[in-house]
Amino acid sequence: MVAAPVDQVRTLYRTLLVYAAVSILILVAGLAEFAYFEPPGQHTGLKATITGVFQYDPASNTTAGPDRNSFPRSMLFAAVVDWSSLPKNVVVDARWYDAFGNVVGSVGPATPDKLASQTIIPVRVPPGFQHNLPGHYIFVVERYEGGVPVEVIGRRVVLVER
Amino acid sequence: MALSARAANPRQRRPPRYAIAIGIAVALVLVLVASSILNYVYLDTVAGRTSLYGLLAVALTALGTFIGVRGFDRDPEQRRKDFIRAGVLLGLAALLWLLLIDVFIFTGAAGPTVAVICALACLPTTAFGLWVVRRIDRNEKEPWRLVLVAAAWGAVVATSLVIWAESLWQLIAIRTLVPGPGLDVSTAFSAGILEELAKGSAVVLLFLVMRDEFDDVVDGIVYGAAVGLGFNFMESVSYMTNLYAIFQPEGVGSYAAGFQWYARQVLGLFFGHATYTAFVGAGIGIARQLPGTRKKLIAIAAGFLVAIAAHFSWDAWLTLFPIEKTAIGILEIHLRTLIMTGPFTAAVLALLLLGLHIESQALGDQFRKEATRGSGAIMPAEVSILMSPWRRFQQRMRALSRGGLRAYFLLARLQTAQIDLAMEGWHRERQEVDTPLEAEEELRRQVAALRQQLAA
Repeated sequence: MVAAPVDQVRTLYRTLLVYAAVSILILVAGLAEFAYFEPPGQHTGLKATITGVFQYDPASNTTAGPDRNSFPRSMLFAAVVDWSSLPKNVVVDARWYDAFGNVVGSVGPATPDKLASQTIIPVRVPPGFQHNLPGHYIFVVERYEGGVPVEVIGRRVVLVER
Repeated sequence: MALSARAANPRQRRPPRYAIAIGIAVALVLVLVASSILNYVYLDTVAGRTSLYGLLAVALTALGTFIGVRGFDRDPEQRRKDFIRAGVLLGLAALLWLLLIDVFIFTGAAGPTVAVICALACLPTTAFGLWVVRRIDRNEKEPWRLVLVAAAWGAVVATSLVIWAESLWQLIAIRTLVPGPGLDVSTAFSAGILEELAKGSAVVLLFLVMRDEFDDVVDGIVYGAAVGLGFNFMESVSYMTNLYAIFQPEGVGSYAAGFQWYARQVLGLFFGHATYTAFVGAGIGIARQLPGTRKKLIAIAAGFLVAIAAHFSWDAWLTLFPIEKTAIGILEIHLRTLIMTGPFTAAVLALLLLGLHIESQALGDQFRKEATRGSGAIMPAEVSILMSPWRRFQQRMRALSRGGLRAYFLLARLQTAQIDLAMEGWHRERQEVDTPLEAEEELRRQVAALRQQLAA
């Protein structure tokens, strides 16, 4: 008895199905990572008071001028947070992210009491550069749980102009 | 009705797949129009306005593609005219789109000279990529026209399709998610899903409309990679000009643009969009030869799934391989690409090699059957020559030395027609054609006519 010839296209099809199975694992791993850093059910209703984003003077560590949503790249700026508006038992931090997702300024994580003396959170100019890089900067106040930021309780988006 | 050697299937009535193709094309156009209007109204940026103005480029691409595709059904003289018109329209569309992006988005900051330099820097590498991708189909190279159409769709249409959706996704994500890995993963899902769907739609349309030039997994990989290279070209130009504008005030604009060029046009030329979309093409190419609608749909979905996962993994986990700002960083950049995208490129190469092996065996089998048949289309002595690309080339070179360029090109057309005949026979044997048998006879007549011309 002669066996029927194997259709090699089926081999291709099965190989592709194996790849697809591995791909599903990759995408599930991605979803798991997303769920770890964005755990569901973490919404507490807490709101951090971000007083504003102002021009910043590093020499005196003070802010000046009005609250603004955009800055020229040559101007330094900082966010001001009122930590007293938060409960004492939460762990929080505040961070600036530049347009490339790099952290360019932060305080914490700690309880609001410990952060009381750090109400001004400036954006640092990247090492080796003279000015801030242009683009949208995100300032967030995050609540921590188990050593991981799980909820954004305050957010501002600021444009650094070209 | 005129028949051609390439179009082995005379169309007495349009197969249902044309209706599907028209449906997809209409849906894509509607998405493009909606996306452009939404960009214009809601995205208060120059990019938003560009999107609306870019519709003209998209319309030119659609018209050029329509005329080019229609040309395949016409007599040689009319076909030549149609292809020239289509080429001009596609060229205009690409130039217009480039112009819009560069002039409206980046020129203000980077300057038109930088934009032109960036585009010119990416042209030779992308052309090289397309040349390599077309060459890998050693048995039956795809027509340049279709390879370039695929690349143009990747560059112009696919990029247009994703602008609004990715902008909207990003807008929502940065206002709702915790910055950091979670946001990175969200952005990676956005890029993987939206960009692969946008690029893959071009390959699906080619599969539905150009069935005569879409034979198997090898063709699918070629078209998919071509779409990816087109997309990569436009993305490279955008990143280079954008980063130049950002970093030039710090005096490192050229370095930033140059690094992007190397990363995307050298390192990532094949290890990136070309690999991802090749998977979409592979899935569609395998579906082309599978029996039953269910299996076909599974294969196409599997191709998209692998492409999305490959793209996602790069975008999501790039930060797992940080690059040091020392000399060793140069090595790390190469290793990162090799480790993260290398396995996917190897996987698509495995499909390609297996596909080429299957194709070669099938064509060899068909050459022998046609020679045994005694129709005169393929002589027994020609079988071993037709089976080897190198020996085919040697035979053409001998023709060149004997009869000059005319003999070379006539022999090339004869060899192509003979391969087309074998390919048609293969598909018919596997019951993969939806058109009458007369097409094969027409191909045999064309082979005979070419043989006579060559002998004259």
